[in-house]
Amino acid sequence: MSEKKSTVIIVDGDHPPILTDHSDTILESLEKQNIEVHYHCREGFCGACRSKLISGEVDYKTDPLAYIDDDEFLPCCCIALGDIKIKLV
Amino acid sequence: MKYTTFNQKPTNPLLEPMFFGNPVNVARYDQQKHSIFEKLIEKQISFFWRPEEVDVSKDRVDFQSLSDSEKHIFISNLKYQTLLDSVQGRSPNIAFLPIISLPELETWTETWSFFETIHSRSYTHILRNLFTDPSAIFDDIVVNEQIKQRAGDISKYYDDLIFYTQLWQTQGEGVHTVEGVAYTITMRELKKKLYLCMNSVNALEAIRFYVSFACTFAFAERELMEGNSKIIRLIARDENLHLTSTQHIINLWQKGKDDPEMAEIAEECKDQAKEIFMQAVEQEKQWAGYLFAQGSMIGLNEEILCQYVEYIANHRMSAIGMGQPFDITSNPLPWMNNYLNSDNVQVAPQESEISSYLVGQIDAEVNAGDFDDFDL
Repeated sequence: MSEKKSTVIIVDGDHPPILTDHSDTILESLEKQNIEVHYHCREGFCGACRSKLISGEVDYKTDPLAYIDDDEFLPCCCIALGDIKIKLV
Repeated sequence: MKYTTFNQKPTNPLLEPMFFGNPVNVARYDQQKHSIFEKLIEKQISFFWRPEEVDVSKDRVDFQSLSDSEKHIFISNLKYQTLLDSVQGRSPNIAFLPIISLPELETWTETWSFFETIHSRSYTHILRNLFTDPSAIFDDIVVNEQIKQRAGDISKYYDDLIFYTQLWQTQGEGVHTVEGVAYTITMRELKKKLYLCMNSVNALEAIRFYVSFACTFAFAERELMEGNSKIIRLIARDENLHLTSTQHIINLWQKGKDDPEMAEIAEECKDQAKEIFMQAVEQEKQWAGYLFAQGSMIGLNEEILCQYVEYIANHRMSAIGMGQPFDITSNPLPWMNNYLNSDNVQVAPQESEISSYLVGQIDAEVNAGDFDDFDL
């Protein structure tokens, strides 16, 4: 029996920390807090939701095809591996 | 260097640059220098669709109920999109294939262009449904001043690269005079032309479609022209993928992950490349002005559309290291996201899941009884 561990997402700027489990993508977690994130495909190929990953690690559920820089990630198709800090582009 | 359709010199495509190396010989996809292009091919093929699958017959009734200014908006956008895809259905093939050196990039370019031809075919499908004879619409595309102005800017970088490539492939480097004009052909100059051309294509895929997409989806928000909207959603999904590919190419160059000379050129041509993008933004805004010159449509006006162009441009420009030149930070048309979400692109389950609906599917199951009427 695997226990679902909660992780914390800290969004740079004037946003409260978000507590999330692994059933939501990071994009879904942000949307539940009514944080506006630009998105199109939600499948990792368009790059509209491209954001900065300041600290922590993410695990992609879908192979991201869109171009992302070394310090960037695609919230639409990954979950947080432990606590993360991000900044919206 | 003369182009050859099958380069007989053994080459190692894992060591070739994307462009201006040895011509491709064996079309092999078991190994890739840049695996992203192989992934994009697979993704794009999985998106395959045909315009005829979308029923647009209800749109004819809707179209009759539109005001004259709305008809102008709808038809003008279709004309502009027809122009864009006419260019994109052929130009990547003609401009890039003769100078590509990687099999995966070669096939990606062909796959990309092929999908643009599906888009062109879908405009005919839409227009044939709206008009008994759509010739007047098509004929206007080459004479309409507003469209011609854009066509010039879109095709000039392609044309320039194609012409210089032709001179290089037939006569090599040096100064060549054609019809009284002297052209200096060097590899550096060719690569510059390629860099600017790729930036122009990137700007096209990034923002040139979005004013017309916004209008289409604004009609759909009012439950009008929904067949057309379904088609445009499929087109938008493809264009997103094409944009991803040009962003990858530009970033591979800028970051020195491909041809080191292209990294130098990217730095050298930085301002020119940015200017190409800003010019495309400006033209899109002017296009919004032209669309609404005869009156607005519900839910959309010139100002909000221009803000949307700036908002999209910020995102698209930062993806290729051009920063975010516009002040806007919030999406002025948030409902656009729903139309551009690929989950909402409807596919009937029987078409995607059940094999008996697939054309050309082979039943691989063999029973002993299948050989009953078989004699030796």
